[in-house]
Amino acid sequence: RAERGMAAAAAFERRVLQCAAEHHYLRVRLELPDGGARPNAAQFKQLVVTALRELHGEVGAALPVDVLTYEEKTLSAILRVISSGLVKLWSALTLLGFCQNRKCAFRVLQTSPFLLALSGNSRELVL
Amino acid sequence: MVRFKNRYVLCEVVSEDPRCRQCIEDRALGLAVRDAIARVHGDYGLACCSISFTVKYLNAYTGTVLLRCRKDSYRLLCSALPFVRYLESRAQRYPCFLNTLHVGGTIRTCQKFLIQYNRTQLLRLLQNCTNEEERQCIQKSLLSCSLTEEQSQSGDEEEDDDTE
Repeated sequence: RAERGMAAAAAFERRVLQCAAEHHYLRVRLELPDGGARPNAAQFKQLVVTALRELHGEVGAALPVDVLTYEEKTLSAILRVISSGLVKLWSALTLLGFCQNRKCAFRVLQTSPFLLALSGNSRELVL
Repeated sequence: MVRFKNRYVLCEVVSEDPRCRQCIEDRALGLAVRDAIARVHGDYGLACCSISFTVKYLNAYTGTVLLRCRKDSYRLLCSALPFVRYLESRAQRYPCFLNTLHVGGTIRTCQKFLIQYNRTQLLRLLQNCTNEEERQCIQKSLLSCSLTEEQSQSGDEEEDDDTE
């Protein structure tokens, strides 16, 4: 009887969150087919912001994007962006063609709202 | 029914330079607004807003401008209007800014608003008059405004005479 009393007092509430995570994480790799000097971390961030500025203007360039890790040898990085800006960032990276008058391309390898999910990649699984 | 919906943005060009009035023309203004959108929202924003973008109505005496754009991209347009800093025409640059007065779905609602707004502006100008002859001049022009039969119906309801 005490349980029934407690259940009647507690209201039933159901919450559904469509996209609960506030950040999205992307693992990207920059390809420079013509070779040449590799950009360092600051230049890489500058490249990402330039891509956003070209496609989405000053508003896009002001999007809070962070480069969490960057490896100069493989030119791959993990980017973090606010969830509402994922579409703008991904489209800007896709449409970037030139990096300091050299041809370049961004390949997005993995994306996830959780950083832990980027640690394993089932595509590169060696069976 | 499926149709293309537009939004009409009514703005006013405010400038300290009196010569700016001469260079308020639709092409110069359209270019200035497009340039501002390209700077603020990039290639994507420019392409979005240019789909159905025109300067529908322009009044150089009062500096009233009516812009049209698609309903999906009117927020991009409205957010880029404060970034219009100058108007350029015939290799002359005049600093100015755009005041957004009203956003409406049709030209008719914007016209109704403009008539109301012009009435209140005339009254305010009358109050701010410093000398007597300006006051007499404004009162005479207010009283002489009337809807005559032979002129077209829609154009003359706006009392936008040159009050300088």
